[in-house]
Amino acid sequence: MLDTAISIKYMLAGYAVVLVLIPAYLASLVLRRRALKRKLQDLDELAKK
Amino acid sequence: MKPQSPTLKILTILSSLLFLAALAMVFLYAPLEETMNYVQKVFYFHIATAWVGMLGFMAAAVAGVVYLVRHDRKWDLLEMAAIEISLVFFLITIILGSIWARPVWNTWWTWDPRLTTAAIVELVYLACLLLRQGIDDPERRARFSAVYTLVGSLSVPIAFLSIRLFRTIHPVVIGTNTASNLGAFNMTPPMLATMFFCLFTFSVVFATLLWHRVRLEQLNVAIEERQMEIL
Amino acid sequence: MKKSLTVPAAAALEKQKQPSRVAGFLKAILAVVWKDLAAELRSRELLSAMLVFALLVILIFNFALELDLPTRRSVTSGVLWVTFAFAGTLGLNRSMAIEKDRGCLDGLLLAPVDRSAIYFGKAISNLVFMLIVEAIVLPAYSLLYNTNLINPGLIGVTILGSIGYVAVGTLLASMAVQTRTRDIMLPILLFPVAIPVLLASVKASEGFLQGLAGAEIMPWVNLLIVYDVIFIAVAFMTFDSVVEE
Repeated sequence: MLDTAISIKYMLAGYAVVLVLIPAYLASLVLRRRALKRKLQDLDELAKK
Repeated sequence: MKPQSPTLKILTILSSLLFLAALAMVFLYAPLEETMNYVQKVFYFHIATAWVGMLGFMAAAVAGVVYLVRHDRKWDLLEMAAIEISLVFFLITIILGSIWARPVWNTWWTWDPRLTTAAIVELVYLACLLLRQGIDDPERRARFSAVYTLVGSLSVPIAFLSIRLFRTIHPVVIGTNTASNLGAFNMTPPMLATMFFCLFTFSVVFATLLWHRVRLEQLNVAIEERQMEIL
Repeated sequence: MKKSLTVPAAAALEKQKQPSRVAGFLKAILAVVWKDLAAELRSRELLSAMLVFALLVILIFNFALELDLPTRRSVTSGVLWVTFAFAGTLGLNRSMAIEKDRGCLDGLLLAPVDRSAIYFGKAISNLVFMLIVEAIVLPAYSLLYNTNLINPGLIGVTILGSIGYVAVGTLLASMAVQTRTRDIMLPILLFPVAIPVLLASVKASEGFLQGLAGAEIMPWVNLLIVYDVIFIAVAFMTFDSVVEE
């Protein structure tokens, strides 16, 4: 049987990866969306002029 | 740009709740495995993220083929979205697998069929994203990436089979279980329940992410069209 | 006129047209192959570059791996296939880039032939170039390292492997040359999807070089054949969407 302390360390490392990477991807979606929306607005203003 | 449909809002909330429930189930409900102890809990999300990667892989292949037949832009958006999500989730799968393998197999990485194939899928998708970046004309970009996805989705299973001709040490958890697969274990019913709940959760998460990613791409298309109008 | 044809007569006419269409297709392929070979015979730039490059790769391997006798036994097939793959990308990229630069591709596409004939023509000429390079590298390697690589099994594997590599490579090269980053795109696109063909070729070549039993080599050879068939079919079906303007 694996040592409990070591085992817990690896488990936490694993879920830390999940809880960092998935939110990071979500954040990238949100950020890209914001950037694109701003760009769309700028383009609309440009079109009005 | 259309506002989010109520279905998507509900789906988003549902997948967040399911995700939290899945985490709770892994940590509070699933029993400890006898030999691998706590680190076995990594397995649930490892399987679930791999499942999302597979779903993305298949969705991208199908969307690519449909695009080549119909030449309808929306299939290209779907393909792009599926590729990106698959890329992210396979990356998580590989890292989780490594973290699990370190204490159990005593190595971060082995050139086993599944690991190697997952790495190849990552490379194929990265290549596909680079290809897309190198093409300005959206119609040509869609065609090329559909062809490349098709080639990749045929080559990857062959790669898997060919690497499988070497001996594998990856444990086969479902189906035949041989003693030679170090790190294999028998699943008790609560473990199975946790695993299937995670699979279900991540399927919903996949659908939600796919939808959001397609909307992002639609925004991109809208910008492209606006730019064309202005020029 | 058409209405006056009875059904069997129309069928007979169709039958008559069939072989001529196949003949036309073959003729178009041959024309493309002939054009490439004739151009190469005049300039020799592609083959000479591929050959020099292949020999350089082998030279570098010699220093990097210290190819003494025991090492050589285990790595020869790997070294050979890495060399072929690198030289192959060089040739594939160049042969498509020439078409693109001189506007030949557009000219070819305007020709009233089935576009897949252009694909097969380019693929066959690329295959010929690759086989010529291999036909020189194999004896050179045998000579330099005093190992006999001239073995019918190995030659068969080399041909099968090159067919698969070129079949995918020609398709991907015609995409790569149409991108902004065309000089670096082909290897990035080709290597991940060519892994099965390279792996199977290395393993089968190694089997023949070490004189393993047929039963141990056959799975790899079968894999090569399957790969070749699948990717020739895929390229045949999708080449149209790659060159469509």
